[in-house]
Amino acid sequence: MTRIIPIVAFASAVVAPLLIRSDSTFAIITFGFLLAALAVSFNLIFGFTGQLSFFHAAAFGVAAYMTAILVSDYGWSFWAAIVPALLAVGLLALAVGAICFRFKLREFYFAVVTMAFSEMIRLVVVNWNSVTNGTLGMTVTAQPTLWLPTGSISLTGARTWYYVALLILVATYIICHRVLASWIGRCFAAIRLNEQLGETLGVNIFMYKLLSFVLGSTLAGLTGCFYGFYTGFIEPQYLSITQSLDIVAMVLLGGVNSLFGPVIGGMLLTALPHAINLTAELRIILYGAILIFVIIVMPSGIFGLFSRPRHAV
Amino acid sequence: MIQLVIGQLLNGAIVGALYGIVALGITLTFGITGIVNFALGAFMMLGAYFTWYGYEMMRLPYPVAVIGAVVLVGLFGLFADRGLFRFTRNNLVNGLLVSIGLISIIEASVLLIWTSTPKDLTYVLPGSLRIGGILLPKIKLAVFAVLLLVIGATYLALTRTWVGRAAFAYSQNPEAAALMGVKTDRLQTVVTVYSTALGGLGGALYASLYSLEPTLGAYYVLKAVESAILAGIGNTIGALVGGIIIGITEGIGSVFLPTAFRDGYGMVFLVLILLFKPSGLLGSK
Amino acid sequence: MLFEARGLTKRFGGLTAVSDVTFDIGEGEIVGIFGPNGSGKTTTLSLIAGMLAPTSGELLWNGQRIVGRRPFEIAGMGIIKTFQNPQLFPELTVLDHMCIASHLGFKRALGMNRVKTLFWPYAGRAVERGAEKKMDEMLALCRLTEVSEEKAAALSYGAEKMLGVAMAMMCDPKLLLLDEPASGLGQEEIVNLETVLRDLRAHGVTLCIIDHKVSFLGRLADRSIALAHGVVIAQGSTRDVLANPDVVEAYLGRKHA
Repeated sequence: MTRIIPIVAFASAVVAPLLIRSDSTFAIITFGFLLAALAVSFNLIFGFTGQLSFFHAAAFGVAAYMTAILVSDYGWSFWAAIVPALLAVGLLALAVGAICFRFKLREFYFAVVTMAFSEMIRLVVVNWNSVTNGTLGMTVTAQPTLWLPTGSISLTGARTWYYVALLILVATYIICHRVLASWIGRCFAAIRLNEQLGETLGVNIFMYKLLSFVLGSTLAGLTGCFYGFYTGFIEPQYLSITQSLDIVAMVLLGGVNSLFGPVIGGMLLTALPHAINLTAELRIILYGAILIFVIIVMPSGIFGLFSRPRHAV
Repeated sequence: MIQLVIGQLLNGAIVGALYGIVALGITLTFGITGIVNFALGAFMMLGAYFTWYGYEMMRLPYPVAVIGAVVLVGLFGLFADRGLFRFTRNNLVNGLLVSIGLISIIEASVLLIWTSTPKDLTYVLPGSLRIGGILLPKIKLAVFAVLLLVIGATYLALTRTWVGRAAFAYSQNPEAAALMGVKTDRLQTVVTVYSTALGGLGGALYASLYSLEPTLGAYYVLKAVESAILAGIGNTIGALVGGIIIGITEGIGSVFLPTAFRDGYGMVFLVLILLFKPSGLLGSK
Repeated sequence: MLFEARGLTKRFGGLTAVSDVTFDIGEGEIVGIFGPNGSGKTTTLSLIAGMLAPTSGELLWNGQRIVGRRPFEIAGMGIIKTFQNPQLFPELTVLDHMCIASHLGFKRALGMNRVKTLFWPYAGRAVERGAEKKMDEMLALCRLTEVSEEKAAALSYGAEKMLGVAMAMMCDPKLLLLDEPASGLGQEEIVNLETVLRDLRAHGVTLCIIDHKVSFLGRLADRSIALAHGVVIAQGSTRDVLANPDVVEAYLGRKHA
């Protein structure tokens, strides 16, 4: 039963634009897709490998900034700019992860250190005014163009971005799913549940932890590359700890034990503030309350309410 | 020049003592309830705002406002403990997430009610004392004295009174303490409320010196956690020492180094400590 | 000589857990380690498996020095250790445990080709079928077939220990280090365990077993060493070691299992 839900959901998402009229609905759903993609890649690290990383927003933000800067200030083509951006994020994650896992940082201390690294990167972005425009943020006016055999499409417009965002979400989902279904997923489970036992059974715990962290963070970077071009605006707030926290809230709300739970959580938490008209402060209060509620009352999240607990295989 | 350096030293010491009092709360809470309660920063901020409201808006005498604020914050701490933290005992990750959720709620509420416009208290204790040729503002001396007093009293309570020793015994060996009749559930609540009240007091005193913004808690709690980890979580006086070290280093450092990256130094320091000596510089636990 | 420990010493601050322990294990042997609580038996096994780093001393595997290798590397070489207190993966079923334990076998069978399974799930089909067959065999051997769908946490203590052995066997061990496999087991389970272990030896697996039950280990082990306070007090054929007066004295007051 729970295997079919993602397929049905994604299929409906493909045809849904036929029913949607208003641009604002498109916008909400598109944002939902992008944030859901962030939540999915985060859960690879958190729900499946058991590492609470507060580095996700930083990975997302760095990629967003790099792509935007290369395109706007240096005239690169969007698609070419993605490569160094993802490489940079991957290398950063590799460095941070290697340091943390080399020193065997667990759970809480890992969370705190990733928070610290995330903040340091954010401070660099905030203060490097010449390149990033500091706290004022950057506006992105360029539009990526996609060359197809039938001619080129410029990535603008609600409908186009809807499909682009959906594609990113589905791509992230599929990549994570393939990894989790493979022998790598079993190693992640070993890390999550009993590292010591996994190590004696021959699993290279350090390497697989690092793999999870780098892959998840790089996928966040992929979303980041596109995000700036969709919203047209990037600011250092994207790299903040609060942004990472929002992602954690999405995953916890939707269900930390599955890959589809984060999709639900991401879409819900994005759509909610728009469905109920809230001021910024009330929205934050709501997020905080949801976070607390989920942890204390519903640790398995929404999707966890009606799915079997997952197995290693 | 001497005036500048001594002035910065005093500032650093006060700021450090403020870090220290929150760090003390962090350490106590960790030892007894097993979580690092980041929300203590938010409670400090509440203490500051309540004091401002009592002193500026209700025209209460400053000491009355302070006491009222501390009591109110303590009550908030009681609700938080019975309603929330009761469910996250000894679960560091859940405790972290719940405390951050609580921070969001508290900060956003204060933002909503009192807006982000900085609030200032009109002079609580104007004038300075001249000691050995240096001018020291009276209020700063008073605040520093109060902080030292309270922290000292806490230390004495922990080592001399029955409650304090029970708390210490519990932090070392929960089962043995329970067997000896220590009511652990009540102890945990008492310690949480006391830590909150300490934070609230810190905030109340902070209000007499600096302008208030809803985000002041986040800044201080991060420093407080750094102080606690620096000293070694579990080391109560160490928390104060750690706080003062950080406070003074920042104060002197800001004279010579760019302030923009000041927070960054603390971060780097924190990461290095956690990597190489997770039990802290003076650590015991 | 398959395995040698020379001058193995481990100090924890002021406490010396293991001091100058030297012994060897020949291929196909069953070597027993006797000793009262706190004599350093578990520490010795942990040192061999790479979970602790020795303060000094040498460990040789087929003549190669293995001190400083990480535990997963040592497992990859064929040295597999079980735990005195059964280590499990919470929430997972017995079958899931076996799947995770098939990691080494999977890695060995496919090598780098396993990356292909990421893109083409059927690339590893044959290997997976083989692994599934092996899982069934091992579970049957350890009398765990009926509970294979149960959550490991719901198992009896004895079953948990057998699961540890079953997982170890999935790793195709050359040297199996067993830390008190018989403790907590009922009579029938001990008999079964003995059969399983003898069967393993017949298949070329070398065993090194710690246990308290003198009757159990006394029957099983060809050679033995006896530890007391981290020091080897006797070494040789099991019969001689158990008859040694120093060994008897170390066990003074302990009841025969």
